[in-house]
Amino acid sequence: MKKPLQYKFNIFLFLLPALFLFIAVLIAPIIMSFYYSLTEWNGFTTPEFIGVKNYIELFTSRSINIPRALKNAFLLALLSCVIQLPFALWLALRLARPIKGKTALLSIYFMPVLISTVVIGQLWLKIYNPDYGILNVLLRSLGLDKWTQVWLGDKKTALGAAFVPILWQYVGYHMLLMYAGIKGVPVELTEAAMLDGCTPAQANRYIVIPYIRPILRVSVIFAITGSLKSFDLIYVLTNGGPSHVTEVPSTLMISMLFLRNRYGMGSAIAVMLIILCFFFAVLINMLFKEEK
Amino acid sequence: MKKILSLALALCMIVALFTVAPTVAAADDEVTLTLWSIATESDSSHQAFIDAIAAFEAAHPGVKIEHVTTENEAYKTKIKAAMSSGEGLPDIFFTWGMGFLGEFVNAGRVYCVDEEYADYQAELPEAMTVNVRYDGKMYGVPYTMSLITLYANMDLLAEVGYDEIPATYEDMIACCDALVAKGIIPFGVAGKEKWCLSEYVEPLVIKSVGGQALRDMYNGEASWNNEGVIKAIEAFQGMIDKGYFDPSANALSNDEVKNNFIQGKTAFYQNGSWNNKDIGEQAQFTVKAGTFPVLDESIPLYSMIGGPNNTLAVTESCEHKDLAVAAAFELARFMSDADYKSGANLPCWAADPDADVNDLIQVAADMASQAADMVLFGDNFLSADAANTYLDYIEMAWAGDVTPVEYVEGLDAELG
Amino acid sequence: MNHTVSDTSRARRLFVYIILILWAVISLFPVYWMLTFSLKTNTEIFGENVAGLPREWVWDNYVRAFHTGNMPRYFLNSLIVAISTIFITLAASVMATYAITRLHWKGRKRMNSFFMLGLTIPIHASIVPLYTTLAKLKLLDTLWALIIPYSAFSLAMGILVCTGFMGDIPYDLDEAAMLDGCGVWGTFFRVIVPLMKPAVATVGIYTFLQCWNELMFANVFINSDKWRTLPVGVQSLSGQYTTDWGPIGAALSIATIPTLLFYIFMSKKIQDSFIAGAVKG
Repeated sequence: MKKPLQYKFNIFLFLLPALFLFIAVLIAPIIMSFYYSLTEWNGFTTPEFIGVKNYIELFTSRSINIPRALKNAFLLALLSCVIQLPFALWLALRLARPIKGKTALLSIYFMPVLISTVVIGQLWLKIYNPDYGILNVLLRSLGLDKWTQVWLGDKKTALGAAFVPILWQYVGYHMLLMYAGIKGVPVELTEAAMLDGCTPAQANRYIVIPYIRPILRVSVIFAITGSLKSFDLIYVLTNGGPSHVTEVPSTLMISMLFLRNRYGMGSAIAVMLIILCFFFAVLINMLFKEEK
Repeated sequence: MKKILSLALALCMIVALFTVAPTVAAADDEVTLTLWSIATESDSSHQAFIDAIAAFEAAHPGVKIEHVTTENEAYKTKIKAAMSSGEGLPDIFFTWGMGFLGEFVNAGRVYCVDEEYADYQAELPEAMTVNVRYDGKMYGVPYTMSLITLYANMDLLAEVGYDEIPATYEDMIACCDALVAKGIIPFGVAGKEKWCLSEYVEPLVIKSVGGQALRDMYNGEASWNNEGVIKAIEAFQGMIDKGYFDPSANALSNDEVKNNFIQGKTAFYQNGSWNNKDIGEQAQFTVKAGTFPVLDESIPLYSMIGGPNNTLAVTESCEHKDLAVAAAFELARFMSDADYKSGANLPCWAADPDADVNDLIQVAADMASQAADMVLFGDNFLSADAANTYLDYIEMAWAGDVTPVEYVEGLDAELG
Repeated sequence: MNHTVSDTSRARRLFVYIILILWAVISLFPVYWMLTFSLKTNTEIFGENVAGLPREWVWDNYVRAFHTGNMPRYFLNSLIVAISTIFITLAASVMATYAITRLHWKGRKRMNSFFMLGLTIPIHASIVPLYTTLAKLKLLDTLWALIIPYSAFSLAMGILVCTGFMGDIPYDLDEAAMLDGCGVWGTFFRVIVPLMKPAVATVGIYTFLQCWNELMFANVFINSDKWRTLPVGVQSLSGQYTTDWGPIGAALSIATIPTLLFYIFMSKKIQDSFIAGAVKG
């Protein structure tokens, strides 16, 4: 069917604002970053084209150690998917039912999300402080002195300690998203299921969860790509230390760009991240579609 | 390709924003120079900058200096981003010498002040300009210099029977052992900030190999695989193993460590001489300043890490170079004097010999005048990439991830 | 038998409640702790009274936090940036979603994937090219230098959420509107926009969070103190008071309390709009 020209023009108009912003601020800089990733460039002199050398160095250099950063990011993504999301879903399902104090609970759970990441980071730095932090003070008062740690400074505990606030902060984020979806489930559907003898758990399993698939998909994509590009809290809490054990790709990228003046290598990490995140987004979309 | 893309990018933005006209500062007779620095309100040089600017503005009617301050770490990011794009640069900027300024100089962003220096040569000795010269040409105006200083809490040392900072390495070890036995932490260090670790490693290295050998290693003219370096790293790791450093070190920032020392929680604190003012004013005990003893008897005691470092430079893109250069020199001269008198740091410019300064800065000045050699901090000496690799190795040595031999071999492989 | 069932269900309900309340405590505790230590002296924080209410209320901490930085100004800047960004993001993403999901044309799926790229792009990857461009346009050191990039980076999320919600609107509705002669724009404004209210709240929140927290751009693109945003202000204040926890706590609280008050006040509205969406769906 041939569309009239007017119709096509309208489509263009609808897309115009988004396209402008998107191309100018994201796509063009990304293409430039891709070009930079093929160069040796310290940010000041003219970039010198060196082909894929940066990428080869990225995956072979022991001191950059990108596999460790990727492993950390994947671990965070995994923890997000197996702990954070199911818990958020459980909370959302509970709160979607009539329950006492629901409004207050919903507001409380979402609250950490609203606090600036810098504030959260500073607070948890204080919580983990080895001498005066509430965590060690609590352990000492329980007589568990052995368990006290230099949480963010010890190579064994730093990664876990840095992940806790990230997972903690965003439970409410996913919960609210899922809650919004669950509230969109037609009441008749669940009521009909209950009349047919379903328990609430079964109604959730067979009616509600399948119904909010689009939202769950959003949550999963967000949790995974968000983990891969996580930056703010790690930056405030450990900045990749001690001895690089909490390094994630974004912190590596920032240190390449702004500490080492290696814009070519930093751009290569950026490009790798973009490709990786995109790959996972497509993969998750396909998985959700297939199950349908 | 880059040009076309930025053009396309710019075009898109212009169209998207065609309704929003950016505000343009109204032109008037007054010249405004922009100065970027790290002297935020909590910085010990903050007031000195304000006074220096006021003095310059009074001497040059019609010229205003707009002072934009940014916190140290953020400043590095900001100045590099501006230097790399060449846009939105200030007229005058604060910088460190050698590697840091060097990259901006290579990019052609910094104005050469050789000609103008002639007018000030009498007050600013040429020896003080070594760290801002590239191919012999001068690109910045240094104002203060810093030396790594060993600060000691004499009250705590007295508890283990010392009334002076131990003068020999063996004595130092004996003193630390006695402190540990008494439950006193000998050294405070911020494991979180790698440069603070280097404040302990570099004196050990220079006092084991000497200044020229260390300079050659930084310059890539000598191998790091040197018995002296290995001995220094062994000594460093030995001190860690014996529990000389604060067990919480890895969770602490430098400010917290410094504060711990001021609160009397550690017996020593080794860091730059820029701490003189805070320690001198805040410590409630007897403080002595000095330098770490030598590891090798043949090396002079006053082989120091440090040198002229805090610098003001003028950008190539500056529109009023005459004024900006004059401002850089005059501000630097004022700052040198003010920081010295306030006890914040050592002057690069000829100092008033009758100035009434605090004891700590006096000791630092004496150490500077007796110095057999002075080698700049490694992370300032080296270019950004090399400096960070170097700091990584220091951190690995600190964490016990490398042996002394692996340390020197690794540095040779990665910096060579 | 019946008795046992109701017993287990009661036990289970109790268990659920315990977890819900425990999580509420865990969610609230850092904020509670922040508010209390912002009013304490170092001696109380560092030993005497770590987690309790302050014995002596040290309001001076707040005075110091106010005087050292310019917290109200930072807050206002952050607010201006957030509101402008939310407005731009909402308008652009609802429009784009409409074109992608309701209008028929070749390549709309591809257009959607194209926008979804934005979900995956780390915001910091474009910092250098963006800086150069903003400088050329003389937009550096203005709030536009933040509003424009933040809007662009929030778009993908906006479109994603809008797609989820717009899918809930029956196609019959806009087809009927079209048949009534509303045309593309009429349908959009009369049918789609009113039904998108629940998405508006969610998109608004997401966008708000993205720009409210951002640290790196805010640090690099803004030079002067008068345009600084909250995260940069808080970070630099914390850097200045590392050893004096009281004023840090005060600064963190000043940065947080207005948002929390606003949230407590608005949370009912946000929920109402969700419910409105459910009824229409």
